[in-house]
Amino acid sequence: MVFDGAAFTDAFPLLVEGLWMTVLLVLASLGIGAAIGLVACIGQLLGRGALNRLSRAYVSLFRGLPETVLIFWIYFCGPFVFDIRLSAFASGTIALSLVGGSYLSEIFRAGVLAVPRGEIEAGRALGLTFPVVAMDLVIPRAFRIMLPAFLGFMTILIKNSGITSAIGVTEMFYQGQIIAGDNFKHFEVFTAVGVLYFLIIFPLSMASSGLERRLASADR
Amino acid sequence: MDEAGRLRRRAADDRRGPRFVRTVDLVITAWLRQRSDVLWFTVLPTTAALAIVAGVVGLVDWKFIRTVDFSTLWIYRFALLEGLGFTLLLTGLSVLMGLVAGTALAAGLQAPIGPLKWLISGYIEIFRNTPLVLQLFWIHFAVPGFTGVSTTPFQTGLIAMTLQSSAYLADVARAGIQAISKGQWDAADALGLTTRTKWFDIVLPQALKIMIPPLANIAVGYFKASTVLALLSVGELMTVAARVAQHSFRPIETFTVVGLIYLVMSAVFSGLTYRLERAYGPQGKAG
Repeated sequence: MVFDGAAFTDAFPLLVEGLWMTVLLVLASLGIGAAIGLVACIGQLLGRGALNRLSRAYVSLFRGLPETVLIFWIYFCGPFVFDIRLSAFASGTIALSLVGGSYLSEIFRAGVLAVPRGEIEAGRALGLTFPVVAMDLVIPRAFRIMLPAFLGFMTILIKNSGITSAIGVTEMFYQGQIIAGDNFKHFEVFTAVGVLYFLIIFPLSMASSGLERRLASADR
Repeated sequence: MDEAGRLRRRAADDRRGPRFVRTVDLVITAWLRQRSDVLWFTVLPTTAALAIVAGVVGLVDWKFIRTVDFSTLWIYRFALLEGLGFTLLLTGLSVLMGLVAGTALAAGLQAPIGPLKWLISGYIEIFRNTPLVLQLFWIHFAVPGFTGVSTTPFQTGLIAMTLQSSAYLADVARAGIQAISKGQWDAADALGLTTRTKWFDIVLPQALKIMIPPLANIAVGYFKASTVLALLSVGELMTVAARVAQHSFRPIETFTVVGLIYLVMSAVFSGLTYRLERAYGPQGKAG
């Protein structure tokens, strides 16, 4: 079999179209997931009360659930259980956000817990109120500590976004399947899809491990 | 306390104002701070929790409860069990084979041969930085084009998961091998042991012990990731779930039960992982 270069290059315009959908899906679920994760993280850090119990239940539920199951559940059961009929894109975004929120909550929590306890206590002892301690002492340091894990999570999210093709979200992997099903050039088309995924994910994971190394050497 | 110190303190006190005012100031500050704490740690979180619960409850169309009937799923119990068996088989086999291949790759990285290192690093990066779904479809539809051998979906799933897990486990194995102290290598060389003995009797047994906690984590990860194989109808639990949901017209019951199976199983595996970590992790390394 020869590598059909034309089929390879011809696939790119349509794949890039799907790529925008992938980017949109990833950014939307990252944003919503971060918002959910922030609330769940605060709830977990509180240590008691209603929000704490809710957050703990949420995190243990969605961390143990595979993305595929949740995507299928929301897309196929959503119309019966909820009053709204969701599009494939909305279902995929919600599913990825819910799973992402539970992971991000743990990432945020690890970042906050890595801030030296003495600094928080010093702030409290100086009579600073909670918002001041949080905004000026904890968050800036926690942000730097959790950045590598956050970038690592982003790569996972991009890789998982391909699963939403199962419910018909027209992202990059779905486009690849359509093109390959059309011209039967599976090898060229899927290789092109792989190249595009790699070009996005690889720099992110390099940045993640680079930052992690820098953080580790700064601690020493 | 000496007289001078007392005088100095009184002078400082007088500069701040009369005692009465200072006491009132202290009480007000403490009260404000306590109120701020109550607001931020109790009132706001509880309100948020109530709002979230109310929002979710309000979104649900509760009429669906009357139609839910889990008993219809009983007919499909053997199909679901078989699917679960395939999932476990796929996970176990791919992680085991991935462990062997990954260790071999990590050992290859230790060899002082440039091109071999680049090749292995390239392999690891490619499989770590592309989605499993894509690898699955690439192996199933693209590879037969130039090898001429087509694989069944189950074989494809096994190959794809093995290849990806070998890339992840190569990293784990590399960390494990690098954790072996230089003294062990030097001692083996000084004793004149063959390369084979050095690797199989000295380095790998120790490295493997270090690798156990991350290995267990990866195994739990692949148990969940195997659901992706449903996109190719490999025949594991998620494939069966999708078929049952379609056949019975009962998606709520099917996907809920299957979700619970995954949830419970991964909770059990995570618990085991935690115990393994306790036994072999940094704290338990004394032995």
